[in-house]
Amino acid sequence: MTRREVITRGAAALRARCGDLVRTDVITQGASALRLRRDDLTRVVRVLVGCVVCLVCAAVIVSVPGWAATHALLGIHQAPTASTTSPALSVDQAKKILARAFTAAYLGESSTGPAAQAQLRTAYTNEGLRGANGRVRLASVQPAAATSPLLAPDPKLLAVSRGFGFPRFIVAQTVPSDGGLPVLHLLVSPDVATPYRITMSVEMVPPATVEPFDPLSKGSPLVTDGTGLAVAPATLLSRYAAQMVFPAKAVLKAPLDADSFSGQVRAGAAGVAAAVASQATFTQVHTVVPSSVYGVRQAGGGALVFGVLVRTDSFAVKADQNVSTVGNKAFVLLTGKKLITKAASITTLEFVTFAVPRSTGQATLVAAREQIVAGSGS
Amino acid sequence: MAAVGIVLLVVGAWMVFMLGPSGEAQLSATSKAPGAVVVPAGVLNAVDVPVRVTATRRDGGAVFLAAAAGSDVAAMLSTSAVSTVSGVHFPAGRLDLHASGAGALPDISNADVWRLTASGRGAAALLVDQGKGPEQVVVTSGDVSALSDATVTLTWDNRAWFFEALAMATLGAVLAAFALNDVWQGRAVPAPGDVAQVQTAEASL
Repeated sequence: MTRREVITRGAAALRARCGDLVRTDVITQGASALRLRRDDLTRVVRVLVGCVVCLVCAAVIVSVPGWAATHALLGIHQAPTASTTSPALSVDQAKKILARAFTAAYLGESSTGPAAQAQLRTAYTNEGLRGANGRVRLASVQPAAATSPLLAPDPKLLAVSRGFGFPRFIVAQTVPSDGGLPVLHLLVSPDVATPYRITMSVEMVPPATVEPFDPLSKGSPLVTDGTGLAVAPATLLSRYAAQMVFPAKAVLKAPLDADSFSGQVRAGAAGVAAAVASQATFTQVHTVVPSSVYGVRQAGGGALVFGVLVRTDSFAVKADQNVSTVGNKAFVLLTGKKLITKAASITTLEFVTFAVPRSTGQATLVAAREQIVAGSGS
Repeated sequence: MAAVGIVLLVVGAWMVFMLGPSGEAQLSATSKAPGAVVVPAGVLNAVDVPVRVTATRRDGGAVFLAAAAGSDVAAMLSTSAVSTVSGVHFPAGRLDLHASGAGALPDISNADVWRLTASGRGAAALLVDQGKGPEQVVVTSGDVSALSDATVTLTWDNRAWFFEALAMATLGAVLAAFALNDVWQGRAVPAPGDVAQVQTAEASL
């Protein structure tokens, strides 16, 4: 072996030795240090790299909002959509509202002063408040049985509004503890910020009954027109009001069964007219309060219709006549006048409730009540 | 298989750590803008688990919380200054608030639209059950005065989440263990060429 060959072989051996030390032998030495074969160590390193990649992926899945991991585990979903067949109130809510309103009504009617007035305003609204004020004012001259329809231990919840539109209502019934006639109550909330208040409380007319409403868990829809009914609520009330006018006029009759209330009103008007005929001319008109008309759909397809009429009794005193009003204690209490020489009027609210059948047939009067609220004379 | 197992293990373990044994997820935000704070249905009714809404005022003033149908809340506060929860960050535990409106608050405490209410001095909490949605929760001072510097915290408690996460982690661990073991055992299976080499070596001895 020549000197040149020795140098060449030595350099080749050194290169091979260095290459092993830098690359292959590091793995081999590491494997031997771990008492593993070289291939095993390579496999372990690959597995570890895969694990790190998996950990990064998992961290991304966990931390990025909206990704499936947290949503799936926690069951996150879109909020439900509003149901049009849900009641506006739960039964508990409605019962609390009834308790609040009836308590305030009772306190307002059984006491006097500013606090009592505040209680009445808490309990009643619109014509209901007007009627309650008249009832309180005339309590000393009106029959005791009519002083308060609220002396009932446990109101029965009949219906609540379906859906979340306004106005919303509650229909309830009470049976007075003294065995009096059952009373239907309509409470209304006109907008989102105004609480429910009693807009009318009406004694039922025997032997009337109230057909069932849809379950409280579904609520009952408000009738906005006469679709599906024998007669539209507003039409029914306007015809009912027109047919009670005195002196009687030829009007289109309401599709309504004969009822005792209108008969009594007409008979009363005729009696008054006859009694004052020599001294005054008596007329009577009935006007529907448009905002007072509510129809609540019942389970059978019919509707329970509530409304308020304003009855105006007018007396035109004949020339050279003086009419003593002493016999009418309510008029004297309202006006302070015991003698009328020119004219007088008495305003009475008539709260009425009808059962309107589905499609065809006659409506029937279910409940009625009247309350004198104002008077004037000269 | 190993990758899936490891991902399940990590995600499950992370959720176990975040939720704790009680399975509690808690998010909060502090409203600096004056006005009411509203938790919309998209947050309140996003999970079929009752949510506890807690409101705390730093000044110790009155706090009133109420839950109602979303349309009613929107109508009630249509012209008022409100801070609405607009984003949720879990597991970071943060809520984003979006301020809007500039009008004064109405006195909402007398309305009958509230299905649930709670009130207190300094702090109050309301537990809102699910199934009545979509609902929103409103946090106010209980009168017409604006609320400011109030912290609203939403808490969901569901032990099932903890056990689900634990099951996920366990399943991931088992999958990963089997898969890695399989990978590991794969090196002991000699290739056909290796066998021939061994036999050749023995023959040469």
